[in-house]
Amino acid sequence: MMRNKRLFILLIGLILFIAVMGFSLSDRKDLTWPEKFLNDTVGYVQQWFYKPAGYIAGLFEDIRSMRELHEENERLRMTVASYARDKIRYNALEQKNAELQEKLNFTEEQKNRNNYTYMIAQVVSVSPDAYNKTMKINLGSRHGVKENMAVVTEHGLIGLISSVSPFTSNVMPITELDGQSANAKWISATVEGNEEASFGIIESYNIENGQLLMTKIAEEDPLKEGDVVVTSGKGEVFPVGIVIGTVTSEQVGDFGLTRTAFIDPAAQFDKLSEVLVVKVPDAEGDAE
Amino acid sequence: MRKRWVILIMLLLFIVEGTIMPWLIPIDWIGRIVPQFTFIFVLYAALYAGRHTALLLGISFGLLQDLVFYGHLIGVHSFAMGLCGYLVGLLLAFKRIPMLTVLSIIGMACLLYDSVIYGIYRVFRITQDAYVVALMNHIMPSLFLQLAFALAFYIPVRRWFSGYSQKKQLDDAV
Repeated sequence: MMRNKRLFILLIGLILFIAVMGFSLSDRKDLTWPEKFLNDTVGYVQQWFYKPAGYIAGLFEDIRSMRELHEENERLRMTVASYARDKIRYNALEQKNAELQEKLNFTEEQKNRNNYTYMIAQVVSVSPDAYNKTMKINLGSRHGVKENMAVVTEHGLIGLISSVSPFTSNVMPITELDGQSANAKWISATVEGNEEASFGIIESYNIENGQLLMTKIAEEDPLKEGDVVVTSGKGEVFPVGIVIGTVTSEQVGDFGLTRTAFIDPAAQFDKLSEVLVVKVPDAEGDAE
Repeated sequence: MRKRWVILIMLLLFIVEGTIMPWLIPIDWIGRIVPQFTFIFVLYAALYAGRHTALLLGISFGLLQDLVFYGHLIGVHSFAMGLCGYLVGLLLAFKRIPMLTVLSIIGMACLLYDSVIYGIYRVFRITQDAYVVALMNHIMPSLFLQLAFALAFYIPVRRWFSGYSQKKQLDDAV
């Protein structure tokens, strides 16, 4: 009798857990308040630990890289000079562009489409799980963060916001992308300098070679090895022109109708301390 | 009294897992060495405080991890930690076992834990890796970290749990 009761409780527990897992797998729009409360409290405590640890680790890194400092300085000076040149050109072009938009009667919304806001966020913790590398950042819905916003570093795209609490939110790195999963997320991408002609979808990440898989590339697409892949912003939620990575190889896809390409991600996903959340002006209107 | 301290230490370990460990692990091994320190404590609780304490600690700390790092599923760690803690407690609670045996039990429980997690993710199609890939990729490397941690905390843990287990043994004797 006793054995039976224990088995019964075990089975009920098992069913309960499967139900909870199935529920959490579905596409949830919002977290419940206990989850939000827990996320914010734990996130608040975690930030006291993550940042100092990062500082100390960074200190050792700095000492190691002291020797390369001179070289880097030289290289950066060159880049700054070329930026200054580009800036003059950019100003002139921007002015011209604004003028033309005025003449063509662009609405306010159309004009503001590319005015992204970059919010600086501190990473608060990283998930200790091999299959779930979620990061926590210290910006939440109170700061205007919404689900599916792009998260970038200075090198390129690293992920998207997966869930939001008032003061913290979770970031799903693009290494977690999986086209085969139940509620898969896709990122539409194009090639830098060839935005009109190229198009593909970043679908999943290959853990063995550490590269992203870009699929649904048209046969006549001019994409080739060494091209820099950027977000195309066709989905309206994502900003335009954020670097994803460089193409390392491409081949004909599974059915022979489209091509696929492997992309080496530009950004570093580990040991991050600061990231930027990109706020697209349009997305705010859509969310209402 | 002792129990409250153990919970506090486990909370601290949970924080350390997510904040300090990512900086300590060498960059090539990130994602392959996964710290599971709270789970080691659940196992110690199973050995020295009984299966029900372990079940409760496992479910609650697993749930904490699931909720705080909510990415794909809620309940994976909660289920795996509760199950492993309960099983170890069921088989070996309050037995007087030498240190090496304790460590090998912890090692086996870690393998079971990671395998259960892999199994759940595989069933829900979060991962498509073969089991061998998962084993070589992260289960084996993390096992060594877990064992080292268990070894380092073996003596203090005995002390923290000792008051608890003696009391329990007396209760059982009565």
